[in-house]
Amino acid sequence: MSFRLATRFAQREMRGGLRGFRLLLACLALGVAAIAAVGSVRSAIEAGLTREGAALLGGDAELDFTYRFASAEERAWMEERAAKVSEIVEFRSMAVVGEDRALTQIKGVDDAYPLVGNMVLDPAIPLDQALATVNGVPGAVMERALSDRLGLSPGDSFTLGTKSFRLSALILREPDSAASGFALGPRTLLRLDALEGSGLLAPGTLYNSKYRLDLPPDTDLAQLETAAETDFENAGMRWTDARNGAPGVAQFVRRLSAFLVLVGLSGLAVGGVGVSAAVRAYLHGKTEVIATLRALGANRATIFQTYFIQIGTLSLLGIAIGLALGAIVPLLLSPLIEARLPVPATFAIYPAPLIEAAIYGILTALAFTLWPLARSENVRAATLFRDAWSGARRLPAPHYLIAITLLAIALVSIAGWFNGSWRLTLWTLGGIAGALLILALAAALIRFIARRASHVARGYPRLRWALAAISGTGEGAGAVVLSLGLGLSVLAAVGQIDGNLRQAISGNLPDVAPSYFFVDIQKDQMPGYTERLENDPAVSRIDSAPMLRGVITQINGRPAAETAGDHWVLRGDRGVTYAAAPDADTKITAGEWWPEDYTGPPLISFAAEEAEEMNLSLGDTMTVNILGRDITGTVSSFREVDFSTAGIGFILAMNPAALQGAPHTFISTVYAEDRAEAAILRDLASAYPNITAIRVRDAIDRVSSVLASLAAATSYGALATLLTGFIVLIGAAAAGAEARTFEAAILKTLGAPRRQIALSFMLRAALLGLFAGTVALFAGALGGWAVSHYVMETDFTLIWSSALMIIAGGIVATVLAGLGFALKSLNARPAQVLRSRE
Amino acid sequence: MSDPVFHLSNVMLSLKGNAGPVDILRGISFDVQPGETIALTGPSGSGKSSLLMVMGGLEEATGGTVTALGQNLTDMNEDALARFRLGRMGIVFQSFHLIPTMTALENVATPLELAGVHDAFEQAEAALKTVGLGHRTGHYPSQMSGGEQQRVALARACAPRPAILLADEPTGNLDSVNGAAIMDLLFDLRDQYGATLVLVTHDPALAVRCDRSVELADGQVA
Repeated sequence: MSFRLATRFAQREMRGGLRGFRLLLACLALGVAAIAAVGSVRSAIEAGLTREGAALLGGDAELDFTYRFASAEERAWMEERAAKVSEIVEFRSMAVVGEDRALTQIKGVDDAYPLVGNMVLDPAIPLDQALATVNGVPGAVMERALSDRLGLSPGDSFTLGTKSFRLSALILREPDSAASGFALGPRTLLRLDALEGSGLLAPGTLYNSKYRLDLPPDTDLAQLETAAETDFENAGMRWTDARNGAPGVAQFVRRLSAFLVLVGLSGLAVGGVGVSAAVRAYLHGKTEVIATLRALGANRATIFQTYFIQIGTLSLLGIAIGLALGAIVPLLLSPLIEARLPVPATFAIYPAPLIEAAIYGILTALAFTLWPLARSENVRAATLFRDAWSGARRLPAPHYLIAITLLAIALVSIAGWFNGSWRLTLWTLGGIAGALLILALAAALIRFIARRASHVARGYPRLRWALAAISGTGEGAGAVVLSLGLGLSVLAAVGQIDGNLRQAISGNLPDVAPSYFFVDIQKDQMPGYTERLENDPAVSRIDSAPMLRGVITQINGRPAAETAGDHWVLRGDRGVTYAAAPDADTKITAGEWWPEDYTGPPLISFAAEEAEEMNLSLGDTMTVNILGRDITGTVSSFREVDFSTAGIGFILAMNPAALQGAPHTFISTVYAEDRAEAAILRDLASAYPNITAIRVRDAIDRVSSVLASLAAATSYGALATLLTGFIVLIGAAAAGAEARTFEAAILKTLGAPRRQIALSFMLRAALLGLFAGTVALFAGALGGWAVSHYVMETDFTLIWSSALMIIAGGIVATVLAGLGFALKSLNARPAQVLRSRE
Repeated sequence: MSDPVFHLSNVMLSLKGNAGPVDILRGISFDVQPGETIALTGPSGSGKSSLLMVMGGLEEATGGTVTALGQNLTDMNEDALARFRLGRMGIVFQSFHLIPTMTALENVATPLELAGVHDAFEQAEAALKTVGLGHRTGHYPSQMSGGEQQRVALARACAPRPAILLADEPTGNLDSVNGAAIMDLLFDLRDQYGATLVLVTHDPALAVRCDRSVELADGQVA
């Protein structure tokens, strides 16, 4: 009965249109749109990756081996099942032109390459023609970044190892490039058989061979994967297939979008603050109506339902607008987005991300409107005779508080379920909640300080009026600090984390990192290599170690993942070394290193921190597959491994007898003065053409640019939050406009000219922005410190350029939001304003 | 005979309404002499409050001239009017119109601060004591009764010792006891500072306390 009545009342009240609800609609629409748009782009990329899976992978399935080519039996297995098999090999080397050298990622391909998709070259010649051997010189193609670096044009020659190649064309599009993942050097592509006689791919050289299969159309990929894993068990084979052609990219997109959705939730939280303010203002304006209804006999439930139906209907409208925007805008911008994406995307309207965004929108709207709605129940009929609203209880009834708490729990649970990472969800949403709490406390503190300071500011009327206004509730210090503060906090945190990380990588790292990594040094090359460097006074330190690569397959006889879960050490192959004695710097944290002449069963020394994360104990056995052979050793010691200096660090070391017999090369780091770097590279590369040099500064630049892209993506997310905050700010300014107009009228009456009043208005906006920016900087820096300290494990220093931008942003945003309304307030004639209040 | 404090000549006021322009004042002329107390009387809607607003420079006359203390208000822009009022005019409203974010003391000190008075707060405190509110200087308007708020408004109007006091039905929102007390206070302060008082009222008892009454009807002097 009550609900039907409430529906009728609500319908009557809504005849007035959307006036007073623009803020609510804008906040919800923008917050929901941001989340829906991120989800839609994610779905588009996922659909693109699925559609183009085979092209990205270069075949329907791929078998990947480290350090070796497939054996004859393995090739037979593949040929039995596939219509066509393509063999490729990938490794790093140096492309040389005269004295110039550049790191390159070489891809040696057979005639069948590419099984799927097309290679696009400049000039537009077929790949066969480009890679053909002409006058005894094999052809090769490379990315423009490499040809520019070496000053090469099509037709020019260059050297790889000890063999000359002819650059016949530049790579415009490599169909399977996304599957190769992160590479330190640009691509050079050539025929696999052309590598013969180059001195590259010597035993122990680090390379990967990949076999792409063109499978019959009715092949069950899942079944074939299971068969391959059974038949190639312990062969060090990794399987990928077209169902997820670029697993690295897909995972990256999933993780980044999960994080961006969480950043989007912070936007929705800011929107929630605005929604709450809009509902509060609306209900405050309805006090007399509510009191009249109560006087006429309406019970609390009817009042609550009347306004719940109104606010609910409008919230659904806001969410619907947001969903429409979130679905349509990515679609409209798809040509632009596709052009900037390194992976394919299929833009369409995907229901899943829209449902996710709608759920977030509904839960947020409920959580933030329930509080002010619940307070509408407290309006009594007596309000008609005196102002009883101010005497209403500040806290809603307990059942509403329980409902709000349950809604918050539901929001967190659903966010965690949707993005699949509880840790990320709890950290991010915990951070947002923490920031909101800090901002709410700061808003109360700001009002307190402003009240105190207004006494001190006596004699400075403009400042005193500004402080008096901030200390009052009408100016909405709370709304400004909360709405603007959260967006700025997220932006500040991103700025500080990004700045610190980049400082750690490109600022501090080069000071402690080696100049060069040399890899693939053959054992017989080591004496000459060491001699060249030891006799160079500019070289301060050389570290060398034998290096093999292996996959940890078992721990204590069980699949490794059962003990250590999805630890990064278990993903793919890892560097493995051997040594008779530990380095002087090595710190053993538990157990003992083996005797120098030890020749018994294999023993393992494992990195202490990773061992703890993987639940390893001394005495555990570990099986490592190296070059297709399983070596099982016993963990006899743990030691500290410091990866932060970019020096040599092996997770796993064994006693020499365990590994010495396997073909392997050496890795070496050289710490040299800048001026000597070029000569060292020239001498070593000339003497040992098979050696690959990786300049640490170049690698750092490459990593820095990837980090910059990530920070940019996150900043876009934070800007959406800030935009929502700005809308809330405009809403707060609009809500306070009447109070300001009245204040301006009184001050004019008392003799204040408009300029003085305007200055006071600007001052209060600037002060609020300054406060909001400062608090946001504090909250953001706290978040940045937590992430730097606990997640990135880097030192934290305040990045002042970012910090000042945040504070300036706070001031500019509040002044801009207040400016329009202030001018309107100043231009109102005092008599009209005051008469309307009589 | 000294120059009049106010010289009103054929003052017109026309405001835009939803149904077209409404003539509020239709050719009002009279003078107010220094130290005089004038009651503007008349029925509701006769234009009393509007005339007071025009005399205070809060409303711009659409015709005629208003001269106050020898200066033509109709020639001044809004800022010049504000500066003119500063220290010369005190205005008391029916709805008090205190600034809600300021304490009683800060409200009273505001016009003194604007005038650059160096001991604005001391003078404001003295003014509050004069109206019997020396103990409530730190209270905000929302923490005071209507009578107390009007006393703060009176203190604010009188603190700069203006030559002119304009009061728009200052007892309209008060009960009879508080209303009488406020009026006594208003006349006491006027006597104390020797200001010219223009009082809008439709209470005949108050009108007779003034030196003379100007009765308005339908925007004209009756």
